[in-house]
Amino acid sequence: MFDQLLNGFATALLPLNLLIALCGCLVGTLIGVLPGLGPTATLAMLIPLVFSMPPATALILLTSVYYGSMYGGSTTSILVNIPGESASVITTIDGHKMAMQGRAGPALAVAAIGSFIAGTFAVLMLTFVGAPIARYALLFGPAEFFALMVFGLCTVASLTGTNVTKSIIATCLGLMIATIGIDLVSGAARFTFGNPFLQDGVDFVVVAIGMFALTEVVITAREVHAGTRAQIVKADKVWISWSEFLYSLPAIVRGTVFGFVIGMLPGAGATLSTFIAYNLEKRLCKNPELLGTGDIRGVANPESANNAASGASLVPLLTLGLPGGGATAVMLGALMMLDITPGPLMFEKHGAIVWTLIASMYVGNTLLLLLNWPLVNVFARVMRIPPKFLMPTVLVISTIGVWSLSYSAVDLVLTGAAGVLGYYMRVHKYPVEPLILGLILGGRLEQAYRQALIISAGSNMIFVEKPISLGLLIGAALFLFLPMLLKRSKQFVAAQESAEAA
Amino acid sequence: MDIAARGLLRTRIEGLVILLVAGGYLWETFNIPDFYQLPDTPGPKTFPELLGLVFAVMGLWLLISPSDIMARIRAKRDGTAAAVAAEPSAAAPSGGLLARIGLDWHFVALWAVVLAYLWFMPDLGFPVATFLLLVLFTRLLGEPRWHVLIGLALAVTIVVYVGFKYGLNVRLPLGVLEFLPI
Repeated sequence: MFDQLLNGFATALLPLNLLIALCGCLVGTLIGVLPGLGPTATLAMLIPLVFSMPPATALILLTSVYYGSMYGGSTTSILVNIPGESASVITTIDGHKMAMQGRAGPALAVAAIGSFIAGTFAVLMLTFVGAPIARYALLFGPAEFFALMVFGLCTVASLTGTNVTKSIIATCLGLMIATIGIDLVSGAARFTFGNPFLQDGVDFVVVAIGMFALTEVVITAREVHAGTRAQIVKADKVWISWSEFLYSLPAIVRGTVFGFVIGMLPGAGATLSTFIAYNLEKRLCKNPELLGTGDIRGVANPESANNAASGASLVPLLTLGLPGGGATAVMLGALMMLDITPGPLMFEKHGAIVWTLIASMYVGNTLLLLLNWPLVNVFARVMRIPPKFLMPTVLVISTIGVWSLSYSAVDLVLTGAAGVLGYYMRVHKYPVEPLILGLILGGRLEQAYRQALIISAGSNMIFVEKPISLGLLIGAALFLFLPMLLKRSKQFVAAQESAEAA
Repeated sequence: MDIAARGLLRTRIEGLVILLVAGGYLWETFNIPDFYQLPDTPGPKTFPELLGLVFAVMGLWLLISPSDIMARIRAKRDGTAAAVAAEPSAAAPSGGLLARIGLDWHFVALWAVVLAYLWFMPDLGFPVATFLLLVLFTRLLGEPRWHVLIGLALAVTIVVYVGFKYGLNVRLPLGVLEFLPI
């Protein structure tokens, strides 16, 4: 394993890959800093670019952007009181108060250190846990994979959004869109309405760009019109004293561990993990009454949790092929387009790529720490670019992204339709992530379903007779009913509200 | 019509639309050709039929769900007075047809510009369409100075066109500018 990891480092440290990682970290941080534009939309926009790259390089770019955006979110939370993306909502509570008290420097420093520790921990865990999980998952047959994907879809449906019915509707719609096109088994055209452009199916990039990038542009445009601008606090010196570091270290450790554990679960994602970690921190730490008044632990804890969780979400993605949310779903789609199917076989078949990716995450973490420390004030200044100049450009670049996929006007029309639908869904609280997830997993879900039924000669009992599959299906059902139980918990309601507000 | 009742009505309409889509989807599964298929194995129709059924059940649930009614009634009892005071326009829509269905001209204009861009870009050509989009969209976002608008739109169009065409080898349509030797 270690020689594989060393080989990975050798590839990750190639000048081109290092440069790509650096660019990815920079772009990611900028995306994280800019409110409105989230990691999912950015990843979707980047996919057309990564086609021309070698798979390892493409993966490095995507993960470093994903990582960087998690990192950058804290800067705006602390300095402007606007979370750059939803996972940084909790950081604003203590972070902005610290900035107002003139302690922006330590807040930014602890966010950077906490993120670094958490990120490194997550990669370490991925290094040691990834291959064994993948080896275990090799025992899975089609029935188990079907159950696993149903489990993933159900946890995502249950944990994103406020209403399980609406989440199931979104998931189902995604799966239905995935059935459009030529059926790979029989060659029958399905739902194409005789349109040759639909025979290849609807590309998920088209829907993802429509639903994330386009709607974000319009939603931001609406906010600009309504007139919400914020005051930016300037950080003088990004530094942290030794005693402050020791004071926040337990919070970092707890945030890291909880964030990682929660982040492994599909659907929980970085946002929910920050909230749960922060609330646990309130119960576990000394002097909990200080949290919320500008306490440095209130920055250290959620920032570590969100970085640990985003690292953790790569574990099910790489070992089981199960994405946990919008951003990882887009990454899965990108991998499939590069002809790499994440899953248990990935460690065997594409071992070099996986280990390069893991090595590049170590590199990326270090790069982010080195980048963010001196450049925090530069990033904060990016916030001042008025959205009225930025948003139209985002629109143009997303359009090019869709156009460059297959140079088809039909794709552009579908993007527009997805944008309008996505806008309606967002405004009326239908979560968009489950739809994208359904769209991406749909093909493999159906394939697993049909293979399982071929094995069982048409009997659906196969899903119940195999213990792993039965367990996963029961787990899936439990998750669907979970929100009903959790609704009684005030913390959960607050978590959902904060997730929704972002 | 107050907010609670309006929200309820919207849920019902959404349920109806979902039911109709599910119906259309299931209807379309009949048009999937049956090619040779092993006996006792699911064909290309099985999975879509399953999905259509789940979708239809969900739509039906939105249409008739009782818990939803309870929530709405509760919201009505607790919050209507405050909500109406805060949003008088929502309670008693005034203005034109757009305002009555909860839209305003700015919203419609934003979407119209975006969709028109996606629709006309391949024919009109990337440079012209993008220039127009940038001018109109930035104007809608509240930039009043025309020299800034036109200068910025021109600059972004050129930078993006050159960057993607020569930097990343993306074929972008020239459209009406086809005669130019670029």
